[in-house]
Amino acid sequence: MNINPENLAAVALEIVGSAGAKVGQVRVARHDTRGIALRDGQVENVASDSSIGLNVRVVRNGAWGFGATTDLTESGVRKAANAALEMAKVSSAVSTDLVDLADEPVHGKVSWKLPVEIDPMQVPDSEVIALLKSWHEKVSKHGAVHHVDVQAAMGKDITFFADLFGNEISQERDRTSASLTAVHVGENGFDDMRTCAPPAGRGYEYLLGTGWDWDEELSRLPEYLDEKTKSPSVEAGLWDLVIDPTNLWLTIHESIGHATELDRALGYEANYAGSSFATIEKLNKFKYGSEIMNVTGDRNAAHGLSTVGFDDEGVAAQQWNLIKDGILVGFQTDRNIAKKIGLTRSNGCAFADSALHVPIQRMPNVSLQPGKEDLTTNDLIAQVDRGIYIVGDKSWSIDMQRYNFQFTGQRFFEIRNGKIIGQLKDVVYQSKTPDFWGSMSAVGGKQTYLLGGALNCGKGQPGQTAPVSHGSPSAVFRKINVLNGRAEAGA
Amino acid sequence: MSELTISQATEYALELLGKSGGIAVGEVNDSANIRWANSSLTTNGNSVEQSLSIAAFVPVDGGTACGIASGQIRTKDDVTKLVEKSKASALAAGVAEDANELTSGSAKNDFHSPAANTDLTGLEQVSKNLGHIMQNSESEYFGYSEISTDTIYLATSAGIRARFEQSSSRFELCAKSKDRTRSSWSGQSGISLSDVDVSKHAKVVDQGLVHQLNKVDVAPGKHTVTLSPSAVADLMIYLMWTASAREAAEGRSVFSSRAGGTRVGEQLTSRKFNLTSDPKFKGLETINQVISVGTSTFASTFDTGLEIPAVSLIKDGKLSALGSSRYSASQAKLPFTPLADNIIVSDANGEGDLSDLAARMKDGLLITCLWYIREVDPQSLLLTGLTRDGVYVVADGEIIGAANNFRFNESPVGMLNRISDAGDATFCLPREWADWFSRAKVAPLTIADFNLSTKSDAI
Repeated sequence: MNINPENLAAVALEIVGSAGAKVGQVRVARHDTRGIALRDGQVENVASDSSIGLNVRVVRNGAWGFGATTDLTESGVRKAANAALEMAKVSSAVSTDLVDLADEPVHGKVSWKLPVEIDPMQVPDSEVIALLKSWHEKVSKHGAVHHVDVQAAMGKDITFFADLFGNEISQERDRTSASLTAVHVGENGFDDMRTCAPPAGRGYEYLLGTGWDWDEELSRLPEYLDEKTKSPSVEAGLWDLVIDPTNLWLTIHESIGHATELDRALGYEANYAGSSFATIEKLNKFKYGSEIMNVTGDRNAAHGLSTVGFDDEGVAAQQWNLIKDGILVGFQTDRNIAKKIGLTRSNGCAFADSALHVPIQRMPNVSLQPGKEDLTTNDLIAQVDRGIYIVGDKSWSIDMQRYNFQFTGQRFFEIRNGKIIGQLKDVVYQSKTPDFWGSMSAVGGKQTYLLGGALNCGKGQPGQTAPVSHGSPSAVFRKINVLNGRAEAGA
Repeated sequence: MSELTISQATEYALELLGKSGGIAVGEVNDSANIRWANSSLTTNGNSVEQSLSIAAFVPVDGGTACGIASGQIRTKDDVTKLVEKSKASALAAGVAEDANELTSGSAKNDFHSPAANTDLTGLEQVSKNLGHIMQNSESEYFGYSEISTDTIYLATSAGIRARFEQSSSRFELCAKSKDRTRSSWSGQSGISLSDVDVSKHAKVVDQGLVHQLNKVDVAPGKHTVTLSPSAVADLMIYLMWTASAREAAEGRSVFSSRAGGTRVGEQLTSRKFNLTSDPKFKGLETINQVISVGTSTFASTFDTGLEIPAVSLIKDGKLSALGSSRYSASQAKLPFTPLADNIIVSDANGEGDLSDLAARMKDGLLITCLWYIREVDPQSLLLTGLTRDGVYVVADGEIIGAANNFRFNESPVGMLNRISDAGDATFCLPREWADWFSRAKVAPLTIADFNLSTKSDAI
């Protein structure tokens, strides 16, 4: 489909500007995805998808109006613009929550592109399949491995944003992910283990070894799985935990990332994703965690999945503090909710997963900063007499105000007297957010720092998914409630 | 606007696919929604989305390959590009292990009828009625309502030209006390919003807040609970999503037998408990032919067009079937069992509604709904999640107050043999999974020793 987004935007902005809209924004968005899956070495699916659309958003009489279309002709755009104006009119009659946007400098005509070495959408299917088959071969030859699932997914977003203030912003970003799960079936049932490689804001070079050592992880995975199947089941109780960034990113996501979304604090998500214990009156007062806890939000981390040049309201990417020395000091905002708490500028967290969806406040890259002392993960393990070193994410769940959470992982190494003595299984850790972060006694240095993340963070009604990254060092947590997964099931 | 309609696009795609064949599925989704929070409308939307998905079958050494491409189309050129992409993907994929003959069929008369429009009347009525209840100054309301109509055009190289039309609706109302110490919820799913009685839902949530005025401290542990139809639906939908014949036969499922093979035939509970899926079930009607652009252990692209019958996964307490494609069924040595997009959960001895069941429970906890359900251990199908928006304390058959929320750790399979009582199945909205699965008629259940593992402070 060949379109000229500048011309389409000009048509829409002329209509909404003439109608007296205080704010007029146009977004044209194209999203391409591809996925390849192998099951026991056989190709199960090779699929691709592409969507493109345009939306017009206005503020008139203090109310939002939104019109979207996949008809990218002048008449289609005119309809969308008029629908947005009409919706603002209808909404203003029933909305008591008036829209007022925080100011943002005009950036003019600019473009931004996430740097990648190999465009992930241009690599032939056959090349990706050959790579995934080689991974299958490497892992499946081990005697402890009875089944192997491998998949790769890649995506590209190409967007154009224009508004009545004169912005014309073109952006392009890519993401790449892959995983392999090895399954063992034995007399006592089955167990599995998955690679820990996170999805990344990188091109296809990521699957070839730039940013992740696939060879090393794939060569060790079968041994780890074999050892896990023979390992003892964990004794439930209080344990010290050393948590690897391959696991901790998800705990950060759930207990900090979502908890510091300002729209949740304001109640906008209360029926669905929930609200947050981190309410506005706690800003600059609430002790979120121990004094070594420093967490930032950003939309500009290298290879971050939430990294952009500008958000979906034309706000330039920034980095800011969410938690400083253990105290809650910031929230994630879009332009409307930033103004509601008196901020002069949004920190740029507006995002929509499709041209047909309304931008809402979504998570930036939220990252736990490494410690001042350059401690290695082994240094942290050495601080623990009796504990568990947890690697890789698996099951996750947290309540609707982000208090009570429960996580599992891929690998659990028992620590005795500062050393790893073998694996445990059936480990489940559970805590309450402020208690957990308050128990953090040490954080690793820069050399332990890793950007984890997910492609499928869900929020909003109708539901929207967003890719997001979380940087984290390894860290030590004291006396955390560990449950035995088998015992919880009554086994 | 377009050079060809979506139904014409499916036929044009088949023409381009040529002798080797394949399938083309066109979909038009017309949806509208409103969302409200803090007793004020926050967002609304109305969109029409169209896409074409093509599965190309290509002969290769040793068999047939399959590749898939999807996208929006406006011109013949767009269709051509999708077909070329799907063929290229097929060649790269190599022989499809699930390759099979497509079932033959004919062209239905309505195949080229235009896509259906969503009827907005019900949504407008909901919006109007919400305005009335939002004037209640005692509490604040949050929620969401949507109506969506899908028109699907299925064209296969074996002659099928079929058009399907189905609507889905959803209404959710959450009420919170102004001091945010109490919260309750009520929801409804269906095929239209015209039967949503907003004031009735408002009474339910307002009554919930009244019950919650008396807070009762309940410690975590194993409790007798009565689960609402919504809560039972969320647990049983997950069970159904896990009931794959191939996974079970391969030894990697809760439905795998330690002795090898599957647990089909095993009595999971002594209750006359039934879990079925039936595309023709009255009130939950859904598409009764396989439409699968993609392959999984549950479905194969090559099965597209085959009829979906009513299926009992659990019948009178016994595991009687597992979901499969023709290929995965052959691997598992079980009958081909495609599943429809609905769930019916009943107990032959069930009687009465949720309040009757709570009264018969005598002492225990009445749970309104569940949230953030995730798998902890696939071997036992241990799930975790939270109670949400109302855990009511029942003493001597009466609600006497409300407890805090809990995190549960429980297996929907393991809990079946702890069912102590059941009510009549009713239509319900599975709160956790409603974005993906909303057609449910489910009985409330009373479960002994339900594992409410830890306390949640969330309201």
